[in-house]
Amino acid sequence: MPGEATSSCWSCGTMRAVHFCSSCGKVQPPVPVDYFTFFGFPRKLNLDTSALEKEFYALSRRLHPDVFGQADTRERSWSLEQSSMLNDAYRTLKDPIKRTEYLLRLEGVELEEQSKQATEKARATGELKKQVVPPDLLEEVFELNMHLEELRIQKKLGEDDPALLEEIGKAKLSLEEKYEALFNELKTEWNNWDKSVDNGTADGTNDDRRRILDKMLDVLNRRNYVRNLVRDVNEALEN
Amino acid sequence: MSYSDKVIDHYNNPRNVGSMDKKDADVGTGLVGAPECGDVMKLQIKVNPQTNIIEDAKFKTFGCGSAIASSSLATEWVKGKTVDQALEIKNTEIVKELALPPVKIHCSVLAEDAIRAAIGDWKKKQEATKPAAVQAAQ
Repeated sequence: MPGEATSSCWSCGTMRAVHFCSSCGKVQPPVPVDYFTFFGFPRKLNLDTSALEKEFYALSRRLHPDVFGQADTRERSWSLEQSSMLNDAYRTLKDPIKRTEYLLRLEGVELEEQSKQATEKARATGELKKQVVPPDLLEEVFELNMHLEELRIQKKLGEDDPALLEEIGKAKLSLEEKYEALFNELKTEWNNWDKSVDNGTADGTNDDRRRILDKMLDVLNRRNYVRNLVRDVNEALEN
Repeated sequence: MSYSDKVIDHYNNPRNVGSMDKKDADVGTGLVGAPECGDVMKLQIKVNPQTNIIEDAKFKTFGCGSAIASSSLATEWVKGKTVDQALEIKNTEIVKELALPPVKIHCSVLAEDAIRAAIGDWKKKQEATKPAAVQAAQ
């Protein structure tokens, strides 16, 4: 049984699980835990989604506010709060990208903060800031945006340039391939992260973890970039 | 969220849109991107090698109104400044001037990055074209 916590049931006083007392089965007030702990999972990124789903449906049934129609006010409101947290936790963890982003937030990695700090450091030291998006990808993005702008103007004028469409189509394919490749890159970092969780607090683990988290952030950033661009391309082609 | 009048003004009448020859030894090009929103910003400067004054600046930005306004303002600000003065421009000054809301601060960071990247590119070119002179002076 996942999620054994170490506080006592408000009703019978014995030790309880996170959501229900293991002894008398009463629903418990929600405790401020992260979504992994909510489901009783370790903070790992390779997650057994079928186990997650099973656990979700089982808890959904038991926590459903309808079940507590006759219960006292406290229990009714706890079941409601727990149900709402359950839904948020499930939605976040089942999606691989949301799960990764959630872990990064949990571990205190803030993208925008990092970028701002890097700019401040560049200002103070005179060194060039390392761009999150690699230069060759930026070139490609800029070029494609120029083509898209051209395409929009042509469409407004009712003109049609097959060569431009072909160019954009090719760029789109290349971006979609990158998008796939980035997901695989992310999975490699998942494995590295999970390994470091298994290793516990051995020497050098903290530096290791920071490095893995930064790498994941980097991959997600590039992936978002590519995703937005593919979206823009599709919009420009459809309109 | 609504844009400030200044952002709208720059968005509707962007200053200095265009491009310069990036192979020109006096031109520095900065190409930067913000993964938060997918914006991409190109900012170019033309520097007088005698005075180190930025005589012209151009930009082309694909992104939201705040990103366009930030880069438009950046080109206005760097023009007439020396390279060293331009390096002192802070993103917070852009935020203030354009009254950017917190969610758009990254646009101003991007504009500052673009200025720095353009100057960095120009400096690199200067060093590359003047090795003989530097060696002769030593």
